[in-house]
Amino acid sequence: MIWSVSWRNVWRNKTRSMVIITAIALGVFAGVYTIAFMFGWINQRINAVINTEISHIQVHHPEYIETNDAHDYIPDIKTIQSAAENKTQVKAASSRVLSTCMISSAETGSGLQLVGINPEKEQQVTNLHEKLIEGNYFEETKKNQLVIGKKLADKLKVKLRSKVVVTLTEMDGTLTGGAFRITGIYQTANSEYDERKAFVRASDLKNLIKIDENAGHELAILLNENNMEQKVADQLKAEFSNLEVMSWLEIMPDMKMMNESMNLMMYIFVVIILLALGFGIVNTMLMVILERIKEIGMLMAIGMNKVRIFTMIVLETIYLSLTGGVIGIALAVVLTAITGKTGLNLSLWAEGLNSLGFDAVIYPEIGFDAVIVVTLLVILTGVIAAIYPARKAIKLKPADALRIEM
Amino acid sequence: MNKFKIAWRNLWRNKRRTMITVASIFFGVLISTIMSSLQDGTYGNMIDMMVKLSSGYLQVQHSKYQENKSINNAFSPTKEMLEEIRSVDKVTSVSQRLESFALMSSGPNTRGGALIGFEPDKDKQTSNLQNWMHKGRFLKKGDNGILLSYNIARHLGMEVNDTLVLISQGYHGVTAAGIYPVKGILKFATPQLNNIGVFMDISTAQEFYSAYEMVSSLMIMVDGYADVQRAEKKLDEITNEDHAVLTWQELNPEMVQFLKSDKAGAVVMKAILYIIIGFGIFGTIIMMVAERRRELGVMIAVGMQKIKLSLILFYETILIGVIGVITGFIASIPVIFILVEKPIPLPDELADAYLQYGFEPYLFFGTASPVFINQVITVFIITLIISLYPVFKVKNLKVTNALRA
Repeated sequence: MIWSVSWRNVWRNKTRSMVIITAIALGVFAGVYTIAFMFGWINQRINAVINTEISHIQVHHPEYIETNDAHDYIPDIKTIQSAAENKTQVKAASSRVLSTCMISSAETGSGLQLVGINPEKEQQVTNLHEKLIEGNYFEETKKNQLVIGKKLADKLKVKLRSKVVVTLTEMDGTLTGGAFRITGIYQTANSEYDERKAFVRASDLKNLIKIDENAGHELAILLNENNMEQKVADQLKAEFSNLEVMSWLEIMPDMKMMNESMNLMMYIFVVIILLALGFGIVNTMLMVILERIKEIGMLMAIGMNKVRIFTMIVLETIYLSLTGGVIGIALAVVLTAITGKTGLNLSLWAEGLNSLGFDAVIYPEIGFDAVIVVTLLVILTGVIAAIYPARKAIKLKPADALRIEM
Repeated sequence: MNKFKIAWRNLWRNKRRTMITVASIFFGVLISTIMSSLQDGTYGNMIDMMVKLSSGYLQVQHSKYQENKSINNAFSPTKEMLEEIRSVDKVTSVSQRLESFALMSSGPNTRGGALIGFEPDKDKQTSNLQNWMHKGRFLKKGDNGILLSYNIARHLGMEVNDTLVLISQGYHGVTAAGIYPVKGILKFATPQLNNIGVFMDISTAQEFYSAYEMVSSLMIMVDGYADVQRAEKKLDEITNEDHAVLTWQELNPEMVQFLKSDKAGAVVMKAILYIIIGFGIFGTIIMMVAERRRELGVMIAVGMQKIKLSLILFYETILIGVIGVITGFIASIPVIFILVEKPIPLPDELADAYLQYGFEPYLFFGTASPVFINQVITVFIITLIISLYPVFKVKNLKVTNALRA
């Protein structure tokens, strides 16, 4: 009974209700869409880290990460590779030979990390072959092919089929050089990565630095699903205690920080919006009470008890906020679905975003739990905002309220 | 004037109603000020951190240095110039740097890296290298020892008190070579920085490069990012055409782009907040008019011109707006200053990560004047727009209906 009274009260002054509902809908829409936007943004970055840059788990010689020294290699990386591949959670594993070197074109030089890979295996682990903007990903059988990033290509002023010379040290310390032909140019969302890494066949690089056939510096492991990396890493750690097994979160600790501080900013924004909405609701409801003093006095006079009056007002507020909230969430979900397909283009700031590894086209996505949390928060805001006006209402004295001059 | 008086009296006829409307504007100003202050503080703090780690707010360099970072493009600042720069308003520190590359060698191992000559006694205000000391002790002014970054030290197998050979090309092609004792090892939270190279006292670096009294840049810190522009103008006057004055924006173009995208997000968020605040105020004004329909009908029925009545209502809304905005402004000042004095600490997990990177784990609030003034202006403009509503409402008022309301 009281439910329908409250619902009818909402629609007594349509303009007023529509205004506050619009405000709530807009606020909730903005909040939910911001969450979707941030969520999509961070997820894209995480996906790039896992699928292109790091994979779920990497295995190195315990010293390698710190020294980047070619001597800190794993002598028998093939055994570890097959051990990893035998695990059910592991999708694929790729071993790499790494060498820090100088690369020079006719124009200029630059430092970089040369990654020697087995293209067939590597394609199962990373999606770099999909990021090629020119040329091929090691398709022919020719020797000394090089795939480099666009940023580095621009810096060196080289094109596809240009020849470059890399200078590196052999295992015994002698300085040596090798000529490579650029057969592919890739571009990821992370321009720093593009500048730092170039790929060659492992066999070419092994010949050049004269390292043992079975040796390697890095084993990248891709799992079948996310969130399993810590478990698998722990298993590998137990099996190969003499090696350093790290999950991507351990390799890039700043990702976690970035992730968490963005989350925090997002929630602060949502709270501020709800605060503003809350005050809007309080004021509107106070006005509503003021307008209906006589009526409330009458209701009390004919015997409606305080609890019911209180409930009536709280319910009216909840109806207002819930209607607005549902409209807002619906709009946000629809817009998320649309922009999730088309992508939101921020290429205006592409350089800055790419330099930090972020994509310039963002695909918002939203989780079901976020929608639930926002809905609950909206209802909570409604309830809290209703308490003060409702208390005002039940403190009215029927005798005075009836006689008030409007 | 008469109408103004009537409007004023009308406000106090029904105090509660007026207070509620004032409150909606008051909270609007307060909330948007808190939000802007938070954005300004975060933004300022972010710039401050990035700038400290990288370039300083401003740099004075040789005019060709930015294009070609060669030791040959170093310059020698005169004593007077340094004095003048120091006396510029808001400048908190001026530190000299001499940077170039060097080969570092120890036994069979050789590695290339940056060689950075800096002023250890001014380090606290700028890059704060002391924060990253891993082993050994920090340099003193005029020290002939060096600090090594962690990975370089490991790679070369260096410990504190070992000696390192440095080889490079000095000023105008002079060969630069020397042996230096390692006084300390620096370990940064960002892995890339651990590969950077060698730090030494600037006078030792000048001697090494035979670039006596020369610097590659003067790193200038000011109070905050809001003071950069004014300082830049002053510096332009002090220096001549052989020098280039560069701001942090010019020194880190990619960082600026990121900040811009961040700021665009902040603008969108604030726009949303204003819309919500606007609707909140609009709601109370609608109620105010609805409640007074009968009163307005009577006024018109007894012969008041609609235009006059509209004007009175317009004045009322404006007065409410002024009161709300002013009280909101007054209330926001202590709130913001409390938040600035006692910044809100971050949740534990995040705080740990921040500390690890040498950042302070707080939510920062800013006090730049636009934080306050813009909110007052914007909310007032919103109120102005909303105050058109009663005017239209009176214009379309049907007296017969209104009287029966």
